[in-house]
Amino acid sequence: MDKQKTNTSFKNTINTKKKMTAQETVAKAIFALAAVFAILSVVSIIIYLLIAGIPALKEIGIFNFLFGTTWSPSYDGPASEKFGILPMIVGSIIATFGALTIGGTLGILVAVFLVYFCPKKLKTALTQTISLLAGIPSVVYGYFGLKQIVPLLAKISPNNNGTGILAVSLVLGIMILPTVASLAKDALSSVSPTYYEGALALGMTKEQAVFRIMMPSAKSGIMTALGLGIGRAVGETMAVIMVAGNTVQFPKGLFEGFMTLTGNIVMDMSYAMGVHRSALVATGFVLLMFILCLNCVLYFIKNSQKIKDKANQKDKKNCHKYNFDTASSKAIVYANKTKLYTVIKYICFAATIIMLAAIAYLILFIVIKGIIAFGRVGVLNFLFGKSGAGYISLAPAFVSTGALILIALAIALPIGISAAIFLVEYSRKNSVFVQIIRLFTDTLSGIPSIVFGLFGVIVFNDFFGLNYSLLSGGLTLSIMILPTIVRSVEESLLAVPLMYREASFALGAGKLHTIAKIVLPCAIKGILTATILSIGRIVSESAALLLTAGSVKNMPASITSPGSSFAVMMYMFASEGMYMDETYATALVLLVLVVIINMLVFAIAPKGKEKKV
Amino acid sequence: MKVKEIEKFNLEETAINIQNANLYYGSFQALKDINMQIKKGEITAFIGPSGCGKSTLLKCLNRMNDLVENCKIEGKFEIGGRDIYAQGMMLQMLRKNVGMVFQKPNPFPMSVYDNITYAPRLYGIRDKSTLNEIVEKSLKGAAMWNELKDRLNKSALALSGGQQQRLCIARALSVDPQILLMDEPTSALDPISTGKIEELCSSLKENVTIVMVTHNMQQAARVSDKTGFFLLGELIEFDETENIFSNPQKEQTERYITGRFG
Ligand SMILES: Nc1ncnc2c1ncn2[C@@H]1O[C@H](COP(=O)(O)OP(=O)(O)OP(=O)(O)O)[C@@H](O)[C@H]1O
Ligand SMILES: [Mg+2]
Repeated sequence: MDKQKTNTSFKNTINTKKKMTAQETVAKAIFALAAVFAILSVVSIIIYLLIAGIPALKEIGIFNFLFGTTWSPSYDGPASEKFGILPMIVGSIIATFGALTIGGTLGILVAVFLVYFCPKKLKTALTQTISLLAGIPSVVYGYFGLKQIVPLLAKISPNNNGTGILAVSLVLGIMILPTVASLAKDALSSVSPTYYEGALALGMTKEQAVFRIMMPSAKSGIMTALGLGIGRAVGETMAVIMVAGNTVQFPKGLFEGFMTLTGNIVMDMSYAMGVHRSALVATGFVLLMFILCLNCVLYFIKNSQKIKDKANQKDKKNCHKYNFDTASSKAIVYANKTKLYTVIKYICFAATIIMLAAIAYLILFIVIKGIIAFGRVGVLNFLFGKSGAGYISLAPAFVSTGALILIALAIALPIGISAAIFLVEYSRKNSVFVQIIRLFTDTLSGIPSIVFGLFGVIVFNDFFGLNYSLLSGGLTLSIMILPTIVRSVEESLLAVPLMYREASFALGAGKLHTIAKIVLPCAIKGILTATILSIGRIVSESAALLLTAGSVKNMPASITSPGSSFAVMMYMFASEGMYMDETYATALVLLVLVVIINMLVFAIAPKGKEKKV
Repeated sequence: MKVKEIEKFNLEETAINIQNANLYYGSFQALKDINMQIKKGEITAFIGPSGCGKSTLLKCLNRMNDLVENCKIEGKFEIGGRDIYAQGMMLQMLRKNVGMVFQKPNPFPMSVYDNITYAPRLYGIRDKSTLNEIVEKSLKGAAMWNELKDRLNKSALALSGGQQQRLCIARALSVDPQILLMDEPTSALDPISTGKIEELCSSLKENVTIVMVTHNMQQAARVSDKTGFFLLGELIEFDETENIFSNPQKEQTERYITGRFG
């Protein structure tokens, strides 16, 4: 009888989908548009690079382009030109492999130390150090490599040449270390502690539990960490060109000059024309394709892990049993290998020491050299003195960097915040749409800055006729920092308790009002963090700016004039060879900025999470 | 911005009239053919075991279920003779006149003053002295003016749990509601704070019709005029509180109350 009633009364179901006011509808549409911006960006980067690269591919032929072994642009005419990028592809692969061997290994070992063997008191300091390492600009790494690592290697090199594969591997290794370490750390800390306890209960030592149970459980996370490390290494430009030796040839040995895909683009782009220019864009496209494939692989690793997790959750009992079974068998097999694991533990410790030594070396080097240099060029004079027409100072860099930050934030903050609002407040959790946007946002954040630079040149400099200008640089940067903003604002919106929203709705407030008056003010810390992180990224950026905003040393007249940020300025000082003091002094300024930015992020970010672990 | 004049419900003797109400979360039926009339100026208590649909029914009365995906509602919900799910019904009007207090105290992370003026500002009141008056009146209504008058600019999160919950009541009172829905308002509080809130309810009922969900039989017996007993989504019995506790008509009611009350 009950059932019958249910069926008949279905007809007068009340429509609870409340009608939105016009204002709410418009707002929602705007937020949705902002959310698809990441998709639009990725798609248009692919399309524009492809369009601009096609002339070269047609002229040269895809096969000759990818597998040609000579790269020789010339002005005698197309007949004598050759554009083969195979040496650069091989160069990039080998350099990445070298970086991964050094930085990837060290990064994972440091992460293991940090999660399992680090005294609690040191944890925060170590985490902070790792994020500082991640924030130091490529040009500073490159210059450090050029001035310290290369001369050192030259001494042990059979041909007295320090530049080449080994130098690049070392520099890139240090650079990807923080990426790998911090992601691997996250992966390890998210493994359920019950596994660990179970292993200990079965008589495994702490070391055995970590290496036989915890590390294998975090496998996919660690692989993702390494994958992102690869992405960073492949895309790195400025540090590489300072220590690679830059001769277009197959890397013949550890100490022979070679060239990477990125290096070739940034070195030739400033003067290339016609087919040459198009060939450089096509090189960027090859790089982009590689990164996109890498992203796909990482996506599948992540997804398959998620499916596994879900299955595990569904069948917790069995999973537990399984883990205990494997744990017990392993405990038996490895019971007498305790020593080996103790040794590995000390290796983790050593890796951490190596990392700390490297960062101490780099910081001391920059600080000491920087202070001496400032003494020679005069602090005030160099920071704020006259510039242009024979005078050198950083005053233009202050202005240019400031302008770039303002332009980029003015565009990216509203779009990023709106996108985050759409994802959190207007979409169902984990709906397909949200997942697609996340995927594209992640993809966007993995694209190398040199590719953004090419995109900026094609679209802003050439198509919109902005030429080398702060505006063009700022626009390019705004796309680069968008993923950071979306991600960290999204996180902070998700952290705002649902009950605040409920309370506001119950008082009669609409969605928009609730977001504006309750949700956003609660998320203000996340928004600030996103802003500061973005500023950090802008301050340390150089490759993309070199292509889009130019590299002049004088004061920009307006946002349509070219201008150099600190990092670009430092690269110009370094590459022109006659401004050694100025280079060190600028490096010190950059270092100070990065330290300040790092401290701000740590001061603002919610600390509860970090402390509880 | 102009002050928005929001009309009130024209409450007759029957404030709330629920007829043939069914509610489904997806395919799960949470309310089954509920019929009940709630009198103006009375305190009505909903009791029943966990998961029986008390909160669900309460939330129908200010349409908080609109926020839930896959929630399907059938039947008629009238307040002051007006169908609150009708096309022309303004959500703002409904929620201004039907306030809600939640189980867990949820003051906004702002000052006491801003918490109470949040809703009045929403309705366009900007005048400082009017806002001050509202704050005083609402805090007095929630019997905490003396406690808080010197701490209006302190963060609401610095208050004790009991104070936070009374602040939430004051916040609900700030827009002068006709009906107040309370979902286990004291379940997160200590006995002293609970007592204060119960007193408060009794003093409020002159001006406000209160519907309260509670797990505490003594509380229902102490403060309410009418009590409804729910089981598995059905309203088993609804009567004068006295009758429910001393002389329940249905066996299920008796079985539930025995052991929990007495
Ligand atoms: N948003 C929802 N989606 C799906 N099912 C829900 C949802 N909210 C409640 N339910 C289900 O509806 C039923 C009634 O829930 P309700 O919260 O109204 O119970 P309650 O009587 O208030 O219980 P309690 O005393 O525990 O608060 C429960 O079985 C609950 O699981
Ligand atoms: Mg409930």
